[in-house]
Amino acid sequence: MSAALRVFAAEGLKQHRRIFGSKLVVFSMLLWPVLTLATTYYTVLPVTSAPGAAQRWPLVAEPGRLLAFLAAGALAYTFFFSLVQSAWHFSFERVSGTLEAMFLTPASRMALVLANGSSALVQNAWLFGCFGIAAALATGSLHLAHPGMLAVAALALLVPAVAWGAFLNSLLMFSRDSAFLYTLLDDPLWFVAGVRLPLFALPVWVKAIGLAFPLTTSLTVLRGALLDGRDTGELAGHLAFLAGLSAVLLGLTAVLLRVGERHAQRTGSLQLF
Amino acid sequence: MIVTRELRKTYPAKRTLFRRSGGTETRAVDGLSLSIPPGAVTGLLGLNGAGKTTTIKIIATLLHPTTGTITVDGLDVVRDARAVRRRINLIAGGERMVYARLTGRENLWYFGQLYDVPRATLRARIDELLELVGLPDAADTLVERYSRGMRQRLSIARGLINQPAYLLLDEPTLGLDAPIARDLRAVVARLAQEGVGVLLTSHYLAEVEELCGHVYVIDRGRLVAEGSPTALTAGTRLPHTVELTLAEAAPAVSVAVGALGAEVETGLDAEGRPTYVLRSPDDLAGELATAVVRAGGAIVRLEVNPPTLEDAILAMAAPAPVS
Repeated sequence: MSAALRVFAAEGLKQHRRIFGSKLVVFSMLLWPVLTLATTYYTVLPVTSAPGAAQRWPLVAEPGRLLAFLAAGALAYTFFFSLVQSAWHFSFERVSGTLEAMFLTPASRMALVLANGSSALVQNAWLFGCFGIAAALATGSLHLAHPGMLAVAALALLVPAVAWGAFLNSLLMFSRDSAFLYTLLDDPLWFVAGVRLPLFALPVWVKAIGLAFPLTTSLTVLRGALLDGRDTGELAGHLAFLAGLSAVLLGLTAVLLRVGERHAQRTGSLQLF
Repeated sequence: MIVTRELRKTYPAKRTLFRRSGGTETRAVDGLSLSIPPGAVTGLLGLNGAGKTTTIKIIATLLHPTTGTITVDGLDVVRDARAVRRRINLIAGGERMVYARLTGRENLWYFGQLYDVPRATLRARIDELLELVGLPDAADTLVERYSRGMRQRLSIARGLINQPAYLLLDEPTLGLDAPIARDLRAVVARLAQEGVGVLLTSHYLAEVEELCGHVYVIDRGRLVAEGSPTALTAGTRLPHTVELTLAEAAPAVSVAVGALGAEVETGLDAEGRPTYVLRSPDDLAGELATAVVRAGGAIVRLEVNPPTLEDAILAMAAPAPVS
């Protein structure tokens, strides 16, 4: 356990140095989500102004709550997409030769990918997370069944995000040809996870695909717990599904790490770039 | 002791989604048996593509052997990979294997954490290693600002962060300035004296002659010779070259030189003095000098060039003549 914690500390430093190359990065960390939110809001606005929209989606009649709905989406998307970016960067370690140096060490591979993902998450999303909570408190958008739901919402966002990050790291670490994932997980993730639109407005097949991404259910729990005043009883089904999905992702990560490392040891692909 | 027995490594042909890419299997190592004892520097030599790096990476657990066994102090490198990784480290030539956006000190701290080096000693060890590789003044500078040689020196420090019982050196002085390479050789010799087992591959054969007590020579993955550098050179029976210049021509000397049974080339130097170049598997310098003096010759210059380890390696790696 102590060894794993030391891997987390090491990855934390590495991610910090990678991300905070200049002071401008701190500024962009706030600017990026704000721009994301503004883009989302003005993209959705024409849809909400359409005749009859309020009957299908009552939230459009309340601009404050609509903005909170979209902000929650942008916040959760920022968390999950920062892990896609982090995994993308992790794949470059093969090129720089540091992946071999990492695999020379006795450090647990699972600890490495979990540490890499969670460090990236904390470093990329902390500012927007703080901003989101402060804005929600200031505008009175928060509707909590009880204060404990803040912790439930945080866990429902963080645990699946870390599992997602570890899964992506294990996928990109051993493959040179997985660049398509970056594209695949950008705009489609927006769409299928219900970041901009409520899930009920999406076609059934899109909803089915969306369920495979933890962001979708994380977002349902986040909005339910923070904006709609739902408690754990009402969200139990979603929470159980999210826990199961996270467990599946972590299980797949363990398998991919084992299979990937064995494949690399058989083919020598760890040094190819 | 690191022991490899009948080690074979075949890289599979690359497959695409629907078919093989047209490549074939590549056998990089073919039945290699080596012993790398603690407290000594062992050389692994061969031309490019001989299988040196593959062998080193198998011992380092980065590759699996196709067949054969490798043990490190009795631990199997496949079954007990994690325990083996604590006992070994690998330093490869070039400036890779360190993070450009971390400082030198942070790089060593990062890898110290991954090796779970005791916290109480990590800081002191980092300072010690930075001193050892001559980077104490650049310790807190980002590696992206380092020169190539500085990065390579940091990479060497990284390879020592876990105080390995066995150190695998794959062209460690590649790209290093001569004084730094000399310092590294001194470090390697000292580590061996302290009990570390070192396996060294290098294209600088003088380096191998200086450091290695025992050398394995491989060609196309197979062991072709082993022994001390001196024994290997002698074993090839490559000619020693003796160059002789006389003060003036003396027919008796030519007869005496011819009687030695060596391949002889005669000529004149720039000042018109007679010269003899003798090539023989044995060192004939002593016999030659005696024969010349007895024949009444006056020696102006006598130079002996024994075959080098490089000559020996090239000879061993030469393709067999087609019969």
